[in-house]
Amino acid sequence: MLPILLAFVAAAIPAGNPLAIRAKTAWLPGGRVLENAVVIVNDGRIVSVGANADIPEGAEVLEHDGVLTAGMIALHGATGASGETSDSTRTAMPEARIGLAVDGRASNFEALRRAGITSIVVTPDASGVTSGTSAVVRTLDGVVLRDPAHLSLVFSTAALTPNREPTSRSGAIAMLNRLFEDAHGVVADARAGKLPCLFEVREREDVIRAIAFAREHKLRGALNGAWLSGEMADAILQSKLSVIVPPLQVGTSKRVLDAMARLSQDGISFGFGLDAPDNHADAMRLTAALCVRAGMNRQLAWQGLTENAAKIAGVEARTGRIERGLDADLCLWSGDPLDLGSRAVTLVVGGVLVDVKGAADTAKESH
Amino acid sequence: MILSNALLLAAVTAASGGQDAQQRPWNIHVEHIYTGNGRNLTKGLVVVSGGRIAAITAGADEQSDRPEDTLRAYAITPGLIDAGVRITSWESVEQSREVTPEMRVADALDPFSLDWDRQVKSGVTTVLASPVDRNVIGGLSVVVKTAGPESIAERTVKADAVLRGSMGSDPSAGNHAAFGRPTDFYSRRPTTRMGVEWEWRNAFFNTALGLNEKDPGRATLVAALQGKMPVFIQAWTTQDIRTAVFLREEVESRPEFAGAGMNTPRFVIDAAAEAWKEPQLLARSHTPVILPPFPADGRTRDGAQMAWNVAKVMKDNGIPFALSSHGSDDVDQRLAIQAGYAMSGGITFDDALAAVTSTPAKLLGVDGRVGTLEVGKDADLVLWSGEPFQPGARVLATIVDGVLRYEGWSAVQGAAVER
Amino acid sequence: MTTTMTRATYAATYAMTLCAAFLHFAPNASASDGRLAIRVGRIITNNGPDIENGTIYIEGGRIQSVGTDAGRWDAEVIDHPELVAFPGWVEAHSIRGMDRPNENIEVAPFLDVRDSIDPINFYFEDCLRQGVLAINVQQGSFCAIGGQGRVVKPFGLTIEDMTLRPSSGIKVVATRPGRSRALQVQALRRAFRDLRDHLEKLVVDKKDGKDSARREELFQGRDPDKEENKKGRPMEGDAPWKVKNFETVPRGEVDEKQSPLLRLVEGKMMAFVACDGAVSVVQALEIARENGFLANTVLVVEGDAWKAADRIAEAGVPVVLAPQLLYTERDPMTGKEIETFVPGVFREKKVRFALQSLNPSAQSLWFQAATCVGYGIPRDEAIAAATKVPADILRLGERLGTIEKGKDGNILLLSGDPLAVTTSVEYVVLDGNLVYDRSKDVRVQQVLEGLEQPNAAPAGADEASDVDPHGGSTKEGDTKSKTDKKKD
Repeated sequence: MLPILLAFVAAAIPAGNPLAIRAKTAWLPGGRVLENAVVIVNDGRIVSVGANADIPEGAEVLEHDGVLTAGMIALHGATGASGETSDSTRTAMPEARIGLAVDGRASNFEALRRAGITSIVVTPDASGVTSGTSAVVRTLDGVVLRDPAHLSLVFSTAALTPNREPTSRSGAIAMLNRLFEDAHGVVADARAGKLPCLFEVREREDVIRAIAFAREHKLRGALNGAWLSGEMADAILQSKLSVIVPPLQVGTSKRVLDAMARLSQDGISFGFGLDAPDNHADAMRLTAALCVRAGMNRQLAWQGLTENAAKIAGVEARTGRIERGLDADLCLWSGDPLDLGSRAVTLVVGGVLVDVKGAADTAKESH
Repeated sequence: MILSNALLLAAVTAASGGQDAQQRPWNIHVEHIYTGNGRNLTKGLVVVSGGRIAAITAGADEQSDRPEDTLRAYAITPGLIDAGVRITSWESVEQSREVTPEMRVADALDPFSLDWDRQVKSGVTTVLASPVDRNVIGGLSVVVKTAGPESIAERTVKADAVLRGSMGSDPSAGNHAAFGRPTDFYSRRPTTRMGVEWEWRNAFFNTALGLNEKDPGRATLVAALQGKMPVFIQAWTTQDIRTAVFLREEVESRPEFAGAGMNTPRFVIDAAAEAWKEPQLLARSHTPVILPPFPADGRTRDGAQMAWNVAKVMKDNGIPFALSSHGSDDVDQRLAIQAGYAMSGGITFDDALAAVTSTPAKLLGVDGRVGTLEVGKDADLVLWSGEPFQPGARVLATIVDGVLRYEGWSAVQGAAVER
Repeated sequence: MTTTMTRATYAATYAMTLCAAFLHFAPNASASDGRLAIRVGRIITNNGPDIENGTIYIEGGRIQSVGTDAGRWDAEVIDHPELVAFPGWVEAHSIRGMDRPNENIEVAPFLDVRDSIDPINFYFEDCLRQGVLAINVQQGSFCAIGGQGRVVKPFGLTIEDMTLRPSSGIKVVATRPGRSRALQVQALRRAFRDLRDHLEKLVVDKKDGKDSARREELFQGRDPDKEENKKGRPMEGDAPWKVKNFETVPRGEVDEKQSPLLRLVEGKMMAFVACDGAVSVVQALEIARENGFLANTVLVVEGDAWKAADRIAEAGVPVVLAPQLLYTERDPMTGKEIETFVPGVFREKKVRFALQSLNPSAQSLWFQAATCVGYGIPRDEAIAAATKVPADILRLGERLGTIEKGKDGNILLLSGDPLAVTTSVEYVVLDGNLVYDRSKDVRVQQVLEGLEQPNAAPAGADEASDVDPHGGSTKEGDTKSKTDKKKD
């Protein structure tokens, strides 16, 4: 039984009229668990977090017999900008800003909300050596949390096309080198360490090349998309780059799962990608659950979906944790969110309540 | 005489491959030490320490006080060197231009490719990795060890070792005129042998005359024309071999090149299947060759015919030659058996050994480190179950930089071999 | 005298029709009635210790003595103290040498490679050059049941000259490339079911007094009054199924399209069963058991069939190994390649195995045997796998495989050790006749020594399927490619 009585889908809480969420369990930063938690939200932000805390007068109270967490952050996707994430006639366009292409009200954000995702990093397509910069977007109101968030650099064969430059890996690296030797704009920002990079990789060889490139040009950022990145844990750790785990499926090989599990054992900073809308929004939580089943540290996996993802996206000052002063991006789960039997019931995005239970397609109430 | 050898060492439990592989000292006892410089020893010991060869001594095998560091085999040779290997894919050649001297194949090599393991298993420890021959001038090849850290940079023996290009039909294959189709660069690239040759001359003349100041490949072309790095040119057939040699002679004799101080290029002909037809030309022009695998029926690529005595013809005419697998990983085409085939074509064992070790090392300019079994050189070693290069002998172990990277003795229960 | 004539004619025809760059060597005209003494530095008898400085005396095509006896005074003498005598290699299974390896008929036991073998195919020339003196030519794998194979020598103008053993066995294919296993196994079972139905119908028709089978017999050209055709016999063999009252049917009335299969079921014909993997081994053995030919089965194995080595050992059948002796698979966890040396597996399981050439020229049987030695198989066993074992498998163990008294007068004279890469076949004596002399082999000069011949064979001419000697398919191909170009 879930005593939630909110019938509206998205309702603004009047300013100055705080919202109090009383949850049986809340997952706080660093793996701390708070029982009988009371989280007060006002004016879109978290104003207090405590156990059995007093609820201010006039506050709207939300009782939740489940788990309250920070909203999840998907680190890689195209929601809101489908079909707008690359330019097929240009191989290198670092100044292209995907933040300008996102339709914040696009209907397929709803699927993300239903899955408990409050922010997504909308990323350029990997079809050139660089297709521009990414942006972090909230899934309810299209608010852009950060733009540009990363400069996308492609090290996989996806950058190659047989009938335009580059056709080869050597040619792609040469192009990227030219870009950085004559750096200006966002490339100069990346070179100066002001802007992190998103290294698009697939094979292990791509990872090695990306790390070498990052070292040569003193870049920071995250490696996205390598299934076997965990097999190169030492090199990745040394590079200080983060890893974005690509969406996995039921039936993904044991080798890949073992490699992913190694990420948490070796102290690598990691988060999860989604590649929405091509993938179902639940794929990210499924991926994390599969990794945990394969031996990934459970707590680190959850941090990879929330607070560490915020760091990788560069929005840790605004979201990703249940912490005083941060945006009220929260999710109320029917149970443990890493248990696939649980589901998101209510979402709070920027302090706005969203009932996602009624919209759930086929999920059953199992708690 | 038949020699029955119960070689195989039980004492070894060393780890091989992967990240667990460690550099460690080795004492290797063998019946035959083939050094690659002609000074061979019977019954001897090779000591490895710190990734290098520390000592080579004659004398019978004695009980070691460190059995865990002891290896035994029938014979030992330096690690083999393949100057014509292809550990690259289509993604290694930048076809948006047909002349790309500045492209570095090192940027396209996959340290995880299974080809490395196959090379190690067949006793090859150093290779020249080149771009696939789709461009006229494909770019800079790199000399790398076949095993080591999972990074090409850390395995590199010599970066930008060779400028690589091709004559013949490979660079023109697949290009076409623009028959009403939307044009792309395949309708600009050469479609004939003469088009390919013109691209070479065009690049060389533009460099000598200073017409390509803004070309990113210019510095490489200058270095090549000044002889600072060798130019490896693939040329299977007689006509292509002649074209390459004549091109060099043209560079040597034209005032444009002399005036610019760019008239001393060093050419090496790769895949010179028909070199046997032009021994005088090659001898006269002091052009070394690399031979492709021996074909069963005499025919190789590009319609070239390769006689099995080609190595002997080279030897008899004083032309330096190396053997290669040209990238084939068929069991019957690997480098070691090529040396055997060359012997069946009439050269001696020592000449065959040189053609897969010291000669390619010299051609690549890495003979200071690899190519012979000498104290102080890299500990790149191959241990054999019998006489090397015979199909009845196989690689028992491959050591690269002092690390045991392949152990084949588990597959061999015992061996009877003959010299 | 006749022999000499034939050979001379052959040489002439050969040179004229093919313009072959290779001349067969006619023996000394002062024919010593097939008496030949071969004196060499070493005889590898392949049957006990080697003999140093020995003589092999051959008369009437057979080896009369091996040792020091020089034989009759008037024998022709081949004296080469620098050479090594070795028995001919035996190819246990080959799909080369025919105009094409298969017909477009799924079940065709009535076919015979006799009608398909091309005596002047370059393949046989290569075999002779490499010292392969017996070749079991079988149909390919694009069928369910193929025709009857034949063991031939690589020398002779006609197929009859070449034949060592006709009807050496029927090709049975457990897995056909590009077809589902289920469908293939069903086709095999149906073939034997059809045989049974045919035989049972013969019995019923005989009982009912119908004479259609007899009329068919006449139509197919068999004489019903011949003793062997007139008589009926009960069904023989080990098959668990038997046709009752089959003795009432005169044997001549069995349809010619079915009778080879009946011979197989009755244990009078061998089967060469192609298996491309472990699964098909199990199916092949089952079908052989169901139809009583397990004892006459030889498995021609490919792929991971070695994984079923225990089942093969248990069934007691010998195997002919695919040319690729190393089986490579990927470790799913590390992604690394794992190599298995296939002959080693069968040796360990005590299964008799024979080798096949990797190609007809440079990597012939010697290369395969040498490779086995490299992987630790004792030298005598490795050599046996390309000599004695295939001879036994082909039921020619009495005639081939070793140099000993009573065997066929087939001798290779080698320049050195048979397994060394530097060794070449200098002379070949076949049935007591000198049929090959390397110094007169123009194609050797062309391929090995770089002497170009004006009429050299095109590349791949030894591939049976590539070249139609009559030019029919080549013309077709030309026309087609022209049409294609026009379309462009």
